[in-house]
Amino acid sequence: MGKIQIYTAFGLNISSDIELSLLRANTSGPYDICFARGNVSKSGLEGAAVIRPHSQTSPNVLWFHAPGIAWFYVTGGSQVVYEPEKGADEQSIRLYLLGTCMGALMHQRNRLVIHGNAVRIGGECVVFAGISGNGKSTLATALYQKGYQLLADDLAVIDEHYQVLPSYPQIKLWRNTADKLGIDVSLLSRIRPQIEKYVLPLTHGFCDQALPIKAVYILSTHNQDTFEFNPIRGVDKFILMKNQTYRVGHLEGLGLRAQHLKLCAQLADRTVMTRIVRPRKGFALDKLVNLIEEDMQKNGIAA
Amino acid sequence: MKYSENLQASIYWLVSYPKSGNTWVRTFIANLQANDLEPVDINELQTGAIASSREWVQGALDFDINELTHDEVDYLRPEAYCWLSQQMAAPQYHKIHDAYTRLANGDVLIPPVATCGSLYIVRNPLDVVVSFAHHNNCSVDQTITNMANPEFCGGNGEQGLHYQLRQRLLSWSAHVLSWLNAEGMNVALVRYEDMKCDPLNTFTKVARFLELPYDKISVEKALSHSGIEKLQAQEAKNGFKEKSQNSVNFFRKGIVGDWQKNMTEEQVQRVIDDHRDVMLRLGYLDNDGLPVRCFERSLSRINDSKYGLSPSPVS
Repeated sequence: MGKIQIYTAFGLNISSDIELSLLRANTSGPYDICFARGNVSKSGLEGAAVIRPHSQTSPNVLWFHAPGIAWFYVTGGSQVVYEPEKGADEQSIRLYLLGTCMGALMHQRNRLVIHGNAVRIGGECVVFAGISGNGKSTLATALYQKGYQLLADDLAVIDEHYQVLPSYPQIKLWRNTADKLGIDVSLLSRIRPQIEKYVLPLTHGFCDQALPIKAVYILSTHNQDTFEFNPIRGVDKFILMKNQTYRVGHLEGLGLRAQHLKLCAQLADRTVMTRIVRPRKGFALDKLVNLIEEDMQKNGIAA
Repeated sequence: MKYSENLQASIYWLVSYPKSGNTWVRTFIANLQANDLEPVDINELQTGAIASSREWVQGALDFDINELTHDEVDYLRPEAYCWLSQQMAAPQYHKIHDAYTRLANGDVLIPPVATCGSLYIVRNPLDVVVSFAHHNNCSVDQTITNMANPEFCGGNGEQGLHYQLRQRLLSWSAHVLSWLNAEGMNVALVRYEDMKCDPLNTFTKVARFLELPYDKISVEKALSHSGIEKLQAQEAKNGFKEKSQNSVNFFRKGIVGDWQKNMTEEQVQRVIDDHRDVMLRLGYLDNDGLPVRCFERSLSRINDSKYGLSPSPVS
């Protein structure tokens, strides 16, 4: 932690005193977001609107404590102050800055933040959402290996023009996913020293321009050997969009719930939504990719 | 933040080692609560998330836990359960397979302060072996080894993400004892065999312990809706989402004593050697140390023992 540098992500300039080496660096200029080490309350916020075991929110402010790592104070869509715990490693702090903190900053900026990946299809993009463990990153990596460009891994941030903003040029992969995809992890860095999850830099095929969102696929699993593609219609689209929102629990305390519902309704209205159900065991990735390509063609989404 | 003793305790834990009748109890509870003419859909059991549900715990904490280690997540779980308990307007029933363990910092994983009561459902380990092997599509011998392993866990992979958090199961015996000896917990013990052999009586006590309706009409109706043949019929028609993809079906036989047809004498002996004390204590071995084969006869014995199901704390 030391030298301040300016980086770019989500169309914004980020000043950070923690190195964010995989992000594209900007040589100079004003910044929109600042990550800075400083003093953060250990007990939380004065008059918090929502109090959870390790996180608190009030209008425009998120405070949280990742035990053993750091306390974070995220405010105004523009600033994160973090105070590391003794002995915390930089990678773990960076992970929370680029994850939970960035998600909250984007919420504070009135962006719709979907927990998912975004893949470029022609002049548009498709978002793959779903709960953790349902195979979002595995699928995104398989599409990347097949030549598709990626805009986002984990945080799909959507602006007021219904475009997904380019995120970080990386995918985070668990060891068993990398093995399955033939990716040699000995050449990759761990996202934290403590866990077997790695950063795959998108050396090529990162899409650095915002693209209109055309469709959302929600990945889910079942205990059968079959694949299903179920179109989602009507009010179910709105409900699912709401449920796929990144850290949706923050919104009430941040005072953004009404705005969020409006964003969900607007986006649901404009996108094709489909639930994909895949076998829980035996990912059958090639088959899934083929089925998705077929479904996209059927929906008029073509590369 | 730490929670005070004034916390509202709202959670009833439905505790068991895997394949010991927990889903049957949950189905009974769901039908008792629904009080409907038709059985509750087994794929719509609204009896609350399993304690190890990543989504449930993550939802309480509301910051990313997917990139924390199993130990780091375990440190957060007690506070998550306290917070969840505090949010509940009425008691809720949550399944749990974790053993009752203490973390390295001295905290217990499952805080008594958030707990109304813990119903411990125990099943003859000989039958658990057969059912667990089938569930995991694993050999009987390996299953016996797993059930004797004090380090045995569910969801403990290091190289990927599991829907469920790591669950320390310990050995089968240690799992039973961890809960029966849990300090400050209101624990009641119910045997699967008594649920089978004397359902009305046993489930009436279960319902009473769990603060559910326990009049004869309600209990009989809920039992009728949750009979194994009804569950099997529902699974055959629509599948069951909790079934392992490794196995053909979830509701297999549900009978008592199936081990006699599916285990060799040597395998039976291994289980007895591994778990003799607890099997004796729970009436699964007779006074000669031989496995009990007929539970109608031993029923009175367990009911007389201090470990029988009771709405008061079990010492």
